Amino acid sequence: MTEERKSVAAAAGIDPRLLEILVCPLTKTVLRYDAERNELVSLAARLAYPIRDGIPIMLPEEARRLEDDAA
Amino acid sequence: MRATLFTRRPRAHIGAVTHPPQIFDRALLRRRLARAARAPCDFLAHRVAEDFVYRLSGISRPFANALDYGSPHPAAAQALAAPGRKILRAAPSLHAESADLVIDEEFSPFAPEKFDLVFSALSLQWVNDLPGVFAQLRRSLAPDGLLLAAMVGGQSFVELRHCLTQAQEEFEGGASPRVFPFVDLRDLGGLLQRAGFALPVADCDAVVVRYDNLFALLRDLRGMGATNILAAGARRPLSRRVLLRAAELYQQNFSDPDGRIRASVEILWLSGWAPHESQQKPLRPGSAQIPLSSALGDKSKI
Repeated sequence: MTEERKSVAAAAGIDPRLLEILVCPLTKTVLRYDAERNELVSLAARLAYPIRDGIPIMLPEEARRLEDDAA
Repeated sequence: MRATLFTRRPRAHIGAVTHPPQIFDRALLRRRLARAARAPCDFLAHRVAEDFVYRLSGISRPFANALDYGSPHPAAAQALAAPGRKILRAAPSLHAESADLVIDEEFSPFAPEKFDLVFSALSLQWVNDLPGVFAQLRRSLAPDGLLLAAMVGGQSFVELRHCLTQAQEEFEGGASPRVFPFVDLRDLGGLLQRAGFALPVADCDAVVVRYDNLFALLRDLRGMGATNILAAGARRPLSRRVLLRAAELYQQNFSDPDGRIRASVEILWLSGWAPHESQQKPLRPGSAQIPLSSALGDKSKI
């Protein structure tokens, strides 16, 4: 991906077509896009997968664990 | 006493099924691949990419929605780019080139039936649970979708394994696992079939690579992120004298007349289709209309 494409993707957050085909890698359930934190949230796994430079990082080890009151 | 024995046994069994043995340290692999991306060694990736194009050229399908599943190098995705074809590149590390997203191949993040082609170049040899990965890939394929993958096979780097083991035994009185176990070609077809793939095919491409010496070979392995990631492997690097002895053994046993050493690499190719009613199937037993004897001729009278 070129730098230009990267910055466009980062501005848009995530490609909606990409969001449509992604599920949580651990629970295979739907993901919710959190535009404010720029994360993909799996309520079932209680994990939030980060999006860096427009690239979703679908690694459980890189995900943020959700606190009980959040989400 | 007997009761405890009975309650224990099934529990051990369930554990074995849900947690396949962790042979590879996947987080360590991601760090190795990130390091490799800085000074990549990519001749194998390019060879495999050419083969992908060749193998797909025989299939008259557009494959409009393709997924690159975990290939460390973008060569295959670049080679398969075509007008009207969308390729999503799911890379195995944060630093892989031209990634659309980053995945751990053991935990597929893709919804069912989204792709008509899934390909993977030189990545699946590092997976702990290959049957589990095949099952996940099969689900992400639309009916009549194709899985095509190349992985490093069991007959690879046998010379290196031999020399390192012998050198370690000479100096340290034993060997630690250094070169990891690979999948055997004979097992692949069965694994694909068990995962629900139709028309599974596996074949192999034997490559011999020549190097000046063992150190040049090790430098290339590092450039592919392919140095030791065994979970049970020794993390301590090999001592200098063991490496020098291994290099000497390699030169003595596996070199050409011009002094360059040979390294065998076996690339396993596998393909399978997500089932669809249009695909050829064997007839049901007993459904034949013509007796076998009419084809073979009746030999009973001779």
